[in-house]
Amino acid sequence: MAGGTDCDKRSFDDQEMKVVETAVLRYRVMAYITGVVLVFLCFVGIPLQIAGHPAIANNVGVVHGILYIIYLVFAWILSRKLQLANKPTVIMLLAGTVPIMTFIVERWITRRFISPALAGQAKAAEPVSRSAR
Amino acid sequence: MENAAPIEGAAPTDGTDLADGTDLAAAAAAPSGPVWRFLVAPRWLGWHLLMVVSFWGMLWLGDWQLHRALSGNALSWAYTFEWPLFAGFAVVFWAKTIRDEFRLKRGETLGASSEDAESLPFGVGMVRARAAQSATPADDEDPELSAYNAYLTRLNAEVKNHGRWHGLR
Repeated sequence: MAGGTDCDKRSFDDQEMKVVETAVLRYRVMAYITGVVLVFLCFVGIPLQIAGHPAIANNVGVVHGILYIIYLVFAWILSRKLQLANKPTVIMLLAGTVPIMTFIVERWITRRFISPALAGQAKAAEPVSRSAR
Repeated sequence: MENAAPIEGAAPTDGTDLADGTDLAAAAAAPSGPVWRFLVAPRWLGWHLLMVVSFWGMLWLGDWQLHRALSGNALSWAYTFEWPLFAGFAVVFWAKTIRDEFRLKRGETLGASSEDAESLPFGVGMVRARAAQSATPADDEDPELSAYNAYLTRLNAEVKNHGRWHGLR
């Protein structure tokens, strides 16, 4: 009986782990794309606009707006999966509007929350299953 | 929710000793207070204020872009729709954050019905599912062992939720 429940628990954990990993991947991809586009907008588009060629800044600006909407949704979903507090959630959501900040925040979120969560999840089942054996 | 009863009974005093100073642990230590109290704590009032200001700020920016669009700036049409969308995001995200917070706090102090566990953030649902599993007498022959397991599960949940997962609060 104990062996049966152990198996159930393990597959359950694996499934949840996959959900988190998917959310992490989506967030990372969108953080990278949004970050690159924003850097391009600010360090190529804006100088060109000042120099009298506004077309790139205008178009890339709209593209960044659309990408940022997707980024918001994925970052929010990840924040819920990790059960983040308000402060890191708001920082993560706003990072998509500040040049270079997406990269810094993505690394910070990974080190501070994603890695501990994925490591802690594997350990979470241990005390229960160990004493049940 | 009879399954959760041994969890609450297993270590009613140890739970408070292990409280790590968060407001969530304080709520667990004083189960008589209403759950919604956290909403009027100074920190949460600050968050409410921030949300109200940013909501109206984003609507105002949308209105500003609408006027620019109407006066001939074609590019502003995109932002005319984007700012109200962001304002809507703010409202939805805020409502869900408060709902999750209620569920987290209720989970610690009261426990929840099994259909609730389906829609919870997975950490909570997982812990509760496991607690229910190990607290069922059919799974373990020894009720003392199952109570101990439930106690370990609860400790685990507390460590996981407060120590690492919750982060800055």
